[in-house]
Amino acid sequence: MEVLKAISISKNFGGVSAVDQFAMVQPENEITGIIGPNGAGKTTVFNLITGVYPLDAGEIWFYGKNITGLPSHRITDLGITRTFQNIRLFRNLNVLDNLRVAYGIKVRYTMWEEMIRWPRVKREEGETEELARSYLAYFGLEKYGDMFPYNLPYGLQRRLELARALMANPKLLLLDEPAAGLNPKEIHQLIETLLKMKEEKNLSIIMVEHHMELVMNICKMLYVLNFGKKIAEGEPKDIQQNEAVLQAYLGDEG
Amino acid sequence: MEFYIKVLEITCLHTILVLGAYLMTGLTGLFSLGQGGFVSIGAYTASIAYLHFNVPFPMAILMAVLMGSAVGFVIGIPTLRLHRDYFLLVTFGFGEMVRAALLHLAQLTGGALGIAGIPKVVDLPMILVSILFITFLIYNLKRSRFGRNCIAIRDDELAASLMGINVYSHKMKVFILSSAITSYGGALYAFLIMFIEPNLFNWLESAKLIIITFVGGVNSITGAIIASVVYYSFGEFFRFVDVWRDVLLALAVLFVTIFRPGGIFGSWELSPKNLLRWRVKKD
Repeated sequence: MEVLKAISISKNFGGVSAVDQFAMVQPENEITGIIGPNGAGKTTVFNLITGVYPLDAGEIWFYGKNITGLPSHRITDLGITRTFQNIRLFRNLNVLDNLRVAYGIKVRYTMWEEMIRWPRVKREEGETEELARSYLAYFGLEKYGDMFPYNLPYGLQRRLELARALMANPKLLLLDEPAAGLNPKEIHQLIETLLKMKEEKNLSIIMVEHHMELVMNICKMLYVLNFGKKIAEGEPKDIQQNEAVLQAYLGDEG
Repeated sequence: MEFYIKVLEITCLHTILVLGAYLMTGLTGLFSLGQGGFVSIGAYTASIAYLHFNVPFPMAILMAVLMGSAVGFVIGIPTLRLHRDYFLLVTFGFGEMVRAALLHLAQLTGGALGIAGIPKVVDLPMILVSILFITFLIYNLKRSRFGRNCIAIRDDELAASLMGINVYSHKMKVFILSSAITSYGGALYAFLIMFIEPNLFNWLESAKLIIITFVGGVNSITGAIIASVVYYSFGEFFRFVDVWRDVLLALAVLFVTIFRPGGIFGSWELSPKNLLRWRVKKD
């Protein structure tokens, strides 16, 4: 089953082609990597999938449904969540509420019920808190529930953002440089967590990443971008030998 | 005694307006200088309905609230797509537009002469009950999904929309609710001070609502209420500082923004649980 299908998607910023006719297919319950030098347009691909920018051309399909042009909140609602290259947690919500806010799409009470604290609100708030606490425990953050996110060490902020992206039980998870700024031990933990999550929740994952060890270890398929164009795709071991890729990363041979 | 009750009435009435501004500016981060416009809309709608069309008082108040919400909706459609400073400018324009319209629609509004002869129906208990009720509603919203979404939008709109929040429609809900509360306050105001005119509530008064919210603490309803009560009663109880009231407010704003950027009360709320926790901490 195809989870996500991008059909020659393009995006220009004032005449500069950020993504040029990029195409990819994401199979179910697999991890795919998008790699490439800085400024290759990897994050832009994520922004196009999640509706942050409108597409200039092309189409995006999610589980057989055309999601091209949908607003971000609808796309999240359908089951695509993401993390950000520069962590974007909510600084005025505590750690627990950062998780709870992500669960808002699953909560069923209405604004009117909220105003008068109808029993259903109390019940669902209780359920949300329980779920959020279980995620905190899973990610080893249970001590920090009442703290504000930007008082946490960097590694824990990354973990919290990952937990937040998983909170609403997505079908497809987009990770934008999940290993940036992490030490080797934390990267090892990240790999374990991702593989475990993938199995437990039947999750599909696309990641943009620079850390080669991580990408080569857990990705089934890799797409390589350079100047917005796809220069290679294939399994990690083939990509390692690919001449165009080596050239993009290391430059021409002397 | 009567004097103090008068002061309290005016103070508490302004607190209703601060609560309206709290929802919008404090929780959601929408800076509106148009709150005064909604105060006037509420005051004029209720007064004209009562005096010219013999609508009974409760119905007149209800009409004011509905009118405020409707205008909020119409104004919200284009303005809520704008971002911070642009939104501020357009709402400023809206407030002044309402003022000008009231001045020039003299046949209905009495123009610069205003509307006199409104009976004093509103008293202190009525205002206090209103404050309690509105605080109850806002507090409930603040501590569940609605409030979390507001704060998320204030902190990072893009991330909020990627949490599945429809930012535009959420802002619309906030704007309409705030307009409803503010025009309710305006309607009560007319039946409290018995005379209204177009300059009743200019943009400076709207700005004060925002400033008070910030001094009290954007994440604390308790803070907003206390700051409001202190500010609006202060000048009356201490007549000798009268003209210095705004100087003191300015100083308070300066000190708070420098030393406590989150407001005096930060995110602390007055609730039995928090009081208990505070006592435990002290012990």
